[in-house]
Amino acid sequence: MARLSDMNEPQRSHIANLPCPHFDKTPWTTGPELSRRRVAIISTAGLHRRGDRPFGGMDGDYRVIPGDTSANDLVMTHISTNFDRTGFQQDANLIFPIDRLRELADEGVIGSVADFHYSFMGAADPSNMASHAENLALLLSGDNVDAAFLVPV
Amino acid sequence: MGALAHYLEAKGIPTTQISLIYEHTEAIRPPRALWVPFELGRPLGVPDDAAFQRKVILAALSLFAAEKGPVLEAFPEEAPVFSENTAEEDTWACPVGFSPPREEETDLEARIQALMREVAELRPWYDMGLEKRGRTAMADFDPETAAGVLCDYLCGKDIGIPEKEISPAVALRLAAQDLKSFYFEAAISRPGAKTPDSKAFTNWYWTQTAAGQILKDIREKCANEEDRDLQMAGKMFLVPMGQ
Repeated sequence: MARLSDMNEPQRSHIANLPCPHFDKTPWTTGPELSRRRVAIISTAGLHRRGDRPFGGMDGDYRVIPGDTSANDLVMTHISTNFDRTGFQQDANLIFPIDRLRELADEGVIGSVADFHYSFMGAADPSNMASHAENLALLLSGDNVDAAFLVPV
Repeated sequence: MGALAHYLEAKGIPTTQISLIYEHTEAIRPPRALWVPFELGRPLGVPDDAAFQRKVILAALSLFAAEKGPVLEAFPEEAPVFSENTAEEDTWACPVGFSPPREEETDLEARIQALMREVAELRPWYDMGLEKRGRTAMADFDPETAAGVLCDYLCGKDIGIPEKEISPAVALRLAAQDLKSFYFEAAISRPGAKTPDSKAFTNWYWTQTAAGQILKDIREKCANEEDRDLQMAGKMFLVPMGQ
């Protein structure tokens, strides 16, 4: 269904024609084996804690989601109305798979789960996210994260 | 999404990501990406299926083993289908019957009253669903307030929430989102209700409910606003494309 060819107009053209930022090179950072990595979720679903500031526009900023946030305290204020939200309503792990990561950590498949996770609102212009992302990289380093798992919506 | 991976990786944080639109990821060339064939809004495929979600996550995390990039792989499985709807059933057979409108009301009053009756009739099912699941996706408003914000806007009242720095345009969007969340959670909590797939729910909400009609009315009103944020909200953020 996320195949462009399966979408109806006008959504197909809208998505196909979204401008994509251009990068001359792809950066590459190495790390240890998966079983020793510390994983954080970086969502672009416009998620935040209940009571935190709703996403209001195209600022490109993010919200902090502590790893112990309960599913009922996790809400979504992404601006788009053109994607399904009923799946998230049934199971927050569909978009923010914190329970799955904990299971993988308990089994030793990954090293550990970060204390803090983050969400942007993906409709923002990527160039507006750049400075926020650089700040976020420092926070992830401070939490010893060496595996950022980026999950769109 | 791909741009974020560039920014983080360039600052020393290894990244891997899910990709929902292959063409975008192919153009942006992030370090590691797993394209999945799932619908927008369902990056791990299917709700309440831990085993399937785990497979998707492991496929994305396994890309850390690649020695060089960019890596863009495709997840080989479609999402499992649990829906009770068949392809021919475009409209969900929702077991919610709403009271008919009364005749003496003006057009606008009738539409507002129809919405308020729907909200009142769904409220007990929403409450029971919330108690059972322990969770609601309603983010900012209770059901009556969400409906009230939308009706107040149609009646020409000020709906901004200055103390929370929420503009009228943002208030409309948040109320619209919360109202739709309320309808879904209430409707699936009725006795005998099956959980619809996203298409069936969308068709029901936008063609069979007073809430869907009110939001389309608001879209029209927004088009004539001087406030550009309200114009944009009406055009883009309240009603899905094609509805």
